[in-house]
Amino acid sequence: MGEFFSLERTIDAFPKLLQSLNVTFEIVIVATCLGLIFGFGLAMIRLFRLPVLYQIASVYISFMRGTPIIIQLYVVYYGLPMLSMNLFGLNINSWDKLFFIITAFVLNEIAFIGEIIRGAILAVPVSQTEAGYSVGLTGLQTFVHIILPQAVRAGLPNFTVDLVSLFQGTSLAFLLGAVDIIGRARMIGTNTAHIFDPYVAAAVIFIIISVLLEFAFGKIQKKGDVVYGRIHS
Amino acid sequence: MLELEHVKKSFGKLEVLKDVSLSVNKGDVVVILGPSGSGKTTLLRCINFLERADEGKMTLADQSVNLHSATRSEVHAARIKTAFVFQNYGLFRNKTALGNVLLGLVSARKIPKAKAIKQAKDTLDWVQLQDKYDCYPSQLSGGQQQRVSIARAVALNPDVILFDEPTSALDPELVCETLEVIKQVADTGITMVVVTHELQFAKDVADHVVFMEDGYVVEEGTANEIFSNPKEERTKKFLSRILPPEYSI
Repeated sequence: MGEFFSLERTIDAFPKLLQSLNVTFEIVIVATCLGLIFGFGLAMIRLFRLPVLYQIASVYISFMRGTPIIIQLYVVYYGLPMLSMNLFGLNINSWDKLFFIITAFVLNEIAFIGEIIRGAILAVPVSQTEAGYSVGLTGLQTFVHIILPQAVRAGLPNFTVDLVSLFQGTSLAFLLGAVDIIGRARMIGTNTAHIFDPYVAAAVIFIIISVLLEFAFGKIQKKGDVVYGRIHS
Repeated sequence: MLELEHVKKSFGKLEVLKDVSLSVNKGDVVVILGPSGSGKTTLLRCINFLERADEGKMTLADQSVNLHSATRSEVHAARIKTAFVFQNYGLFRNKTALGNVLLGLVSARKIPKAKAIKQAKDTLDWVQLQDKYDCYPSQLSGGQQQRVSIARAVALNPDVILFDEPTSALDPELVCETLEVIKQVADTGITMVVVTHELQFAKDVADHVVFMEDGYVVEEGTANEIFSNPKEERTKKFLSRILPPEYSI
């Protein structure tokens, strides 16, 4: 066991791994922010059943939710340069790998967050919309003042789950050669010929951050409960 | 004040309103009675465009509008002139009692905030909720929630308030306190259309009673006419079932 695992080597690996944490965070933050923005658009397309766009959105969502992220990563990594070359004559082969990785995660998150937003909006009873209309609010006012705040609360638990799973999902980025935490752990393992220890360190980092994320969002959720009570329907 | 002509509404194959015409004078309290499924609630919802009628014309405060083909601005104009009290209160769950009353005043009626707050608080005081301004609906009893809902409607100062079975979700004690508040609203002289199963209440406050069944108005008249001397066999039967002679009130 002494040969296989050493606490010292594991502890040594931490600072090196943490240096790569910013890559992981970059993927997570960009994918989540763009996922929220475009996912909202996607949810609107599906909720209002906009012709043509609705069908496109549905196919897009089934693809993104029905295929492993690893396939999406490769499709973007190899497919996007070809597409760009054929459509615009633009060679993007030499662009930073991280660009393709982030693009793949963004495209994936748009689908997942879009569905979370759609579900959250549908979770607000129709009677809330009717109440808004009955006091003379327009559709938009009802949406902004009544539906959206309640949908945020309804969608928060699913959003937290998605965020944590995205955070862990970014560990696949190393397959395209990104030096995120896992990429770094692999490098350390290869260089020192002790594969196991850096991965243990990486696992600890993932656990701590995941738990912190869940804790933080749990707090926000609780705060909402205190402010205006649990939602009964 | 409010005139409905030949309102028809079907949900798929089910004809809920077959041909309903109704006239409400300014300041009147009109109570609509009838068995479940007779179309009372649907009629109210058509007035507020929560349901689109298939046919029919409405004249509300001298403005006529086609209930089927009204434009968005006509719908909005009609909604501004009316207020609705829902069976299940319909309070905004993310707003306090005060916020519930305020939202329509500030966002829909464009009343300046300070004035709106005063008006909202006055109305909440008036329904005895002066100590509940900051409570969320989940922190209020059913009766209190319905009083907030009534305050929300009254504060808007609409031409007509529509009540859709305002007490049927409440227990008997809360029914009493809520009916008292609705009577209080009626005493202000505001025009009201009330769908209810509370016959004693109908007797006490209604200027005009409409008995509906199966998508038609079967009979209408003053409260006295309908309760003491109903002409139609169907009305008699309905009232006797709810009010057996030995329990007559």
